[in-house]
Amino acid sequence: MMSEKENKTVITKHDLRKMGVRWCFMGVNAFNYETQEGPGYTYAVAPALRKIYPNDDDYEHALANHLNYFNTTTAMANILMGATTAMEEKEGVKSLDAVQALKTSLMGPLAGIGDTLIWVLWPTIIGSISGYMAVKGNPLGAIIWFLCNIAFFFGKVWLTSLGYFSGTKLITSLGERISIFTESASIMGLTVVGALVASVVKVTTPITFKFGAVTMGLQTGILDKIMPALLPVLLTWVVYKLIGNKKWTMNRIILLLIVLAMVCSFFNILK
Amino acid sequence: MQLLQDCLIILLAAWMCIDQNGLVVVSYFPVIVGFITGLIMGDITTAMYIAGTFELMQLGVANLGGSSMPNYGLATIIGAFLAIRTGTGVKTGIAVGLPVGMLAIQLDVLIKIINQFIQRRMERLNHEHNWKAMLRQPWYGVGLFGLETGIPTVILVFLGPTAVKEILKWLPAWFTNGLTIAGGLLPVVGVAMLLHYMPTKKFFTFLVIGFVLTAYLKVPILGLALIGFACAYYYFNSEMKKADEKQEVKAAGATNDQGDDYDE
Repeated sequence: MMSEKENKTVITKHDLRKMGVRWCFMGVNAFNYETQEGPGYTYAVAPALRKIYPNDDDYEHALANHLNYFNTTTAMANILMGATTAMEEKEGVKSLDAVQALKTSLMGPLAGIGDTLIWVLWPTIIGSISGYMAVKGNPLGAIIWFLCNIAFFFGKVWLTSLGYFSGTKLITSLGERISIFTESASIMGLTVVGALVASVVKVTTPITFKFGAVTMGLQTGILDKIMPALLPVLLTWVVYKLIGNKKWTMNRIILLLIVLAMVCSFFNILK
Repeated sequence: MQLLQDCLIILLAAWMCIDQNGLVVVSYFPVIVGFITGLIMGDITTAMYIAGTFELMQLGVANLGGSSMPNYGLATIIGAFLAIRTGTGVKTGIAVGLPVGMLAIQLDVLIKIINQFIQRRMERLNHEHNWKAMLRQPWYGVGLFGLETGIPTVILVFLGPTAVKEILKWLPAWFTNGLTIAGGLLPVVGVAMLLHYMPTKKFFTFLVIGFVLTAYLKVPILGLALIGFACAYYYFNSEMKKADEKQEVKAAGATNDQGDDYDE
């Protein structure tokens, strides 16, 4: 206990970088259903905590504290990790309750931003650009995406330092503004989703009707006249409703669509 | 040469799962793993075509909150490998890759259940003050997740090519054609999922804007993303202003504020 007070700043920039890299690599690689990212978080912060707690019993308590349930977007955990380390360095074992409180209260809101930006918005935008390039045989989009990911890696490691130096202040002062930010991101996300309905979902029919001497394609003659991408919109609505139904898991919906495609191919209803 | 390719493909598949859980450099993004598969196999065009098809299927299918989802990255690696190795083309890639990617979910769930032992052991070793061993435990998770995609790839790399050639002889045209149709339908799953976990009802307006700009006006996706950004920026600024005003009113009403939630 004595030594804690003497070493006011034991954590160096090197320690923070190391922590960031350890977390970036481990992430959810030790994921289990009970404590989710708990083991990974503990693995990442352990070397820094050892420096903070030279006393074995204190170290054990601190590690046990981090082994609890934890789950958020991995990149966001970097900020949180820096912040909790700063708290523990300052207050030692006295901070453990506050550390736990900070982690549990913020993992939700942080996942809200992180998931929207990192797992939804960015892969959807870059994915549709590079995906369209790829189906034409062009790997340029993929290469750009790959390079971006390398840059993001350094960004994530840097977030650990950001969390350490201004984390608690930064996150708590944001407060309700976090939700404003998430909502704004959702606006951009939904605009892109609207575009995806019209461009990525492809349903067309080869059915034609004969009225005496006149033949009319169902697709170009009728459906496209009502609204472009009418069938994709209807299909999206149906699947949206199915996802809302607890009985329909994602796998079942995918299987249903494959069977539907096979049947429609056999009877030449869709092309 | 072929053996070297086989080994690299297996390593790529095993690394992909570990990377997806941590570094996210290659991850399960079909176009990126597809590009690397193309490099290994020496046919980037075919690999990119298969990767692009799976990429569009995957849009929006995100693994949020540790949920398990079809592994389109694995589908891409195996699909592209088999299509190039057997020379049977893109449809083979999709026909074999898709079911494999879907089966991989079951393995994912299994590993996340098995990983429970990591938590138990870490708790025990922490209590015993054996920290060196304790910090070794998460590495078992790394190994297991590597096997999640590694094992199916080993099986398909060594048994796949001959099996696939045999199976393809029996497949009727409507079946392979059906797969192409399925390729057009399946992106709907990701799109509908996005609609589900985003505040669609609140911001329905922007969904319609995005649809109209693309369906009627054919605005390219990047331009569309910029319009979306503009809307988001405007909303962010006006809401922040409202929040500031609210705070000022609050601050004027009561002088005691509660900023920090833990005391010094």
